[in-house]
Amino acid sequence: MDGDIEISIDKLPIKRLDAIEENGTERFPSDVDYDEKRLNLIRRIDFGWAVEREDRSKKRKSEGTTSANESTTTNQHTGQWQSLVENLQFAQQELSVIIDLINTVEANDAVTVAGMTRPKQLPNELLSDLAVSTATKLQCFWHLGKYFKQSAAALEKQVAREARFYGALIRLQQNWKVKRHRLVAAASGNAGFFIDLFYNTLYDTSVSLRPSSMSTIPIEHDAAGMLAVNVPPNSCRSLRFEFLGSHSANNVRRSGETNMHAFSEDSSTETNKEHANDDECVRKTHSLLREVHRAIFDEQVFELVSREACNSSLSVNLTGIQENYLRLSINQGASVSISLLLSSQDNKTDIVSGTNSSETETIPSELSDWSKFREGKDNVKKLGFPNRISFEIYLQQLFHEYVFVRAKDKTSSSFRSLISGQQSKDNLNILDHFCMSLAHSIFSNKVLSELESLVCRTPYVQLISHPTWHSRTSSWTLSMKVPQSILHVGSQILSSGISNVKNVRSQFWSKVVVIDESISVEGVGDLNVVGLFNGKPESICPINRYECDLADLPIILLQQVASQVIQWLHEEALTVGIKVTRDFLSLAFELDHGEIASLVAHVDPEDTRGCISWWLMMDDGITENHKLHPDLSIGESESRKFLGHLSLDVLYSTLLDFVNLCSC
Amino acid sequence: MDPQSQTTSLQRLQNVEKRIVRVLELAGGVMDEMASQSGPRKEIANNHCSEFMQLIKDIQFALREEIKSACEYRPFEKCDYVPRISNEICYKKLEYVIAQLDEMKQTMEGYRNAA
Repeated sequence: MDGDIEISIDKLPIKRLDAIEENGTERFPSDVDYDEKRLNLIRRIDFGWAVEREDRSKKRKSEGTTSANESTTTNQHTGQWQSLVENLQFAQQELSVIIDLINTVEANDAVTVAGMTRPKQLPNELLSDLAVSTATKLQCFWHLGKYFKQSAAALEKQVAREARFYGALIRLQQNWKVKRHRLVAAASGNAGFFIDLFYNTLYDTSVSLRPSSMSTIPIEHDAAGMLAVNVPPNSCRSLRFEFLGSHSANNVRRSGETNMHAFSEDSSTETNKEHANDDECVRKTHSLLREVHRAIFDEQVFELVSREACNSSLSVNLTGIQENYLRLSINQGASVSISLLLSSQDNKTDIVSGTNSSETETIPSELSDWSKFREGKDNVKKLGFPNRISFEIYLQQLFHEYVFVRAKDKTSSSFRSLISGQQSKDNLNILDHFCMSLAHSIFSNKVLSELESLVCRTPYVQLISHPTWHSRTSSWTLSMKVPQSILHVGSQILSSGISNVKNVRSQFWSKVVVIDESISVEGVGDLNVVGLFNGKPESICPINRYECDLADLPIILLQQVASQVIQWLHEEALTVGIKVTRDFLSLAFELDHGEIASLVAHVDPEDTRGCISWWLMMDDGITENHKLHPDLSIGESESRKFLGHLSLDVLYSTLLDFVNLCSC
Repeated sequence: MDPQSQTTSLQRLQNVEKRIVRVLELAGGVMDEMASQSGPRKEIANNHCSEFMQLIKDIQFALREEIKSACEYRPFEKCDYVPRISNEICYKKLEYVIAQLDEMKQTMEGYRNAA
């Protein structure tokens, strides 16, 4: 190539914008035609620099010889040339960069743009950027506003839901212990609340009880966010006390157990029924918790019972043990069982044939078969078994009162003495006491049935029961009252003739007291030999007390009653003025001619028509004296006549008849 | 604050929750105002903001009161589980006695009908 390089400098072929308007239209410089372009190009070629150098050298040679005109013209020329030079320099730089770029690309090296200076923005560009960012911010605000409102709505709903939940929880908390597991609350979505139903006895560390699996009940949310308590069905057991061998008439179901399942399910979700629903829900929960609480108590009682039963003791004989089942034998030959049954099992223990339908009723008044029920009851009466429900309740009450209530009050001695008796203070055995009460109850029922049968057949004797407020003591009184008619007659006789008015006793009693299983009888009317000789009726009758057993009880009582009648007759006779002598069960009247007529009482507990019968024996003083020992096998003869079962009126009139016969 | 004596603690806390919801609503309202095309209306925005501040103040006051008055107590001191069981036992006794009385009534009616 030649040294001369022709360079044609042109504007870069990119169309440069003059301006851009707001609405986006671009302004380009107006197009120039070709000739003008060439003229412009020529003008751009500026040799000012060379001229300037020359000028400078010329100036240095000849200072000030150049004329003013030359300098001005050369200045113009130098300006043009200078811009040309600058442009050439820029162009050179750009070209060198491009040449480097081309070389690098040809060499297949990666090229990265190190940086680009942003061209300075024109003011309208700035405004447009600002407008865009403002619009974006407005959009953000709008979204934020919507978000806040949505959150407010959601929070309101959540607050309402929780208000229901916590409102119900507070109502529960007023009655039950509500606790919280903090860790569980963190782990699961649940709030971790649970209800603790366990209460340990404070009495003794040896009596401490294990909390059962039922005693912590978790509180959950149901579908609507409301409080829900779920207890697995068939987990609640109840204590049951039974006499083995007498199922009839004792297996009356309690009505309380079925009430729990009888709630009507109201699943309406209308908001105006929400309050009623909430109340209903809380009430159901309360009932459920109550049921579980009772079940826990029954389990505790069963555990305490089994602990005591397994320790050897005096009156408790453990004859059988299974899971949730204990069998004990009581003194009186009865066998009882204490068991923990699920409430659904209750209905399955009816084994008695023929009365299945009636046994599942809850209250005896609803039984359809009344006569069978009564028959069963009579059976029970013969065996002497008390009502099993009463003893079930008694068992629960004993343990509750002793273990839970009195535990706090250790100074109360009355209850301890009730239970411990001769045992040491610390070794209180509740089950012993219970079994002894049970034995006593059975025994006293037998005593009562005996007394009732006696009193049924002796019309002038009344049976009165006395409450003793002690579970191992019972007492009754057989009282005999002289009827008013006799007293009236008696007073008439007295007022008419005889001066000395003696107070005749008009009421006689015999008392029967049963303590544990021993009977003691006391009463007015036994013979006092010393008093007999004195002839004073008042001192004849001290109160005697003696013990007996069940087999001898009827005859002893009857003898006592009969002797009381004799005594009364004796007193009456004395007031009327007849000469009489009294023996154990007979009253002897002296008649005119030395004859002795005696009224003899005969007692027979087996006699169905009446227990006390009367004989009249005549003794003319010559024949042998059989007064004291009337012998039935001899039968009636001249000297003895059977009078029958006489009432007090008849006896009294018999006495008055003797008045005529006797010498006064 | 007068209502303190009338309402329970739970009700006061529920009021606090309601105020929080209201505060959120106000914030949403202010944002809406700011986002409007013609620019926020000053009075409305001011009202919202002043109500917001007032509510925040109320909330703070109420919470402080509640926290101060939350007393130290031994939980479950007056646990009534033992009397509850006594009650259950009494209930059973009553049921039993009622059953006995019903029986007696039946017996009497039986005799009356027989007589």
